[in-house]
Amino acid sequence: MYEPKIIAYLCTWCSYTGADTAGIARLNYPANLRAVRVPCSGRVSPELVMRTFDQGADGVLVLGCHIGECHYDSGNHRTAKRLPALKTLLTFAGLEPERLRLDWVSASEGERFARIVNEFTEAVRDLGPCHWRQGIVWEPDLNLQERRQAIGMPEAGD
Amino acid sequence: MPYSIEIQNTTRELLASGQVNCVIGYEVGPRGQTRPAFIYTPEQAERLVWNQACTHNLSTYLVEKLASKGTREASLNRVAIVIKACDSRAINVLLSENRFHREQVHLIGVVCEGILEGAGKFAKQASGESGRYQLRCQRCQERTPLVYDNLVGEPVDHPPGFAGEDECTVLGDLQSMTPAQRSEFWLSQFDRCIRCYACRQACPVCDCPTCLYERDDSLWVGMGIGLNEKRAFHLGRAFHLAGRCVGCDECERVCPMELPISLLNRRLAQEIESAFGYRAGLAPVPPPFVTVLDDR
Repeated sequence: MYEPKIIAYLCTWCSYTGADTAGIARLNYPANLRAVRVPCSGRVSPELVMRTFDQGADGVLVLGCHIGECHYDSGNHRTAKRLPALKTLLTFAGLEPERLRLDWVSASEGERFARIVNEFTEAVRDLGPCHWRQGIVWEPDLNLQERRQAIGMPEAGD
Repeated sequence: MPYSIEIQNTTRELLASGQVNCVIGYEVGPRGQTRPAFIYTPEQAERLVWNQACTHNLSTYLVEKLASKGTREASLNRVAIVIKACDSRAINVLLSENRFHREQVHLIGVVCEGILEGAGKFAKQASGESGRYQLRCQRCQERTPLVYDNLVGEPVDHPPGFAGEDECTVLGDLQSMTPAQRSEFWLSQFDRCIRCYACRQACPVCDCPTCLYERDDSLWVGMGIGLNEKRAFHLGRAFHLAGRCVGCDECERVCPMELPISLLNRRLAQEIESAFGYRAGLAPVPPPFVTVLDDR
């Protein structure tokens, strides 16, 4: 059975803790989610989102603090303005808009976190596999290892 | 050509009085193509022209010409520049980003009649052209520069005969396609890209000292010519220009592979206008992406 691969960018101050809260409360949410912890939802640049889809994600979820609660004062204001525009652009380039979602989850909202992840996973599952990579001859990045070493990143595990 | 004479006279005055170090304008090259010209002495001023092939957005050169070369005095370089209405919007964007001070530039605004298709090519190649206005000129809502120090020509409020023509049919067609069809369309376009970066070089507001897409130490932006990387480059560039692109369409004109880059920029401009009620370059105010949300 098709299982979507979902990458979630979680703000470390709210949503990442919110995911923890969901775990502590023993709430169920789909295992399709791979969480990536970012310092702020404002850090999620368009390049990052596009790269994620390029690498084979079926959906990208960006979760940040509620407006007015940003640890950096206005980081999520920018996300709130930029992500919808990015969504428009990616939609224009041929991505289904449902595959990218921005939402707000605070540290105590474990239930809300589980609900959003459930909703999003179901929405992406209904869409089926992502065609973003169709028509692209995938060339492995031969220099990736070198580049990783150049900036002192650990060797890739796989 | 009264406009040419007027521009030449202004140039001579500015250079002779030492108000500016350099005047950026247009000249006609040896093979009949109109091209950018940099004038440093009053004697050279006679080279300057104005015609309907003055397509280049000269504000591209402004930041470089004003760049201080280390010393404090150099940072007080002053440059005069010939601008059309679209170029003046680019100047406003650059001013809003504090690329230079308003006092550093002397703006010679020209009331633009519209630029013809095929502008910038050699006369031989251009002779077969239709003599129509460029699409951007058909969409143009200004004609009179929004900011200037000298104005050449009489200000026009409403562009007669230009407005009203709906050139958004391609945009509409694309938006009515299914996502898979759109994806196929764009991949077939991006496939032709050779990553020459001409679009980036011609763009007046695309001038990061180190381009994000030309760094090989980045783990998530590819520098190669894989189709996915070319797509990421063009979409990323369009996104970086969101709320800053003034629609001069120079990127599309200079593209050797004739990619319809301006479609991306126009789609985003539409979105920014509907979401924030903002059009880039109408006034030197920061674009919506760098400001906080309203109190709503």
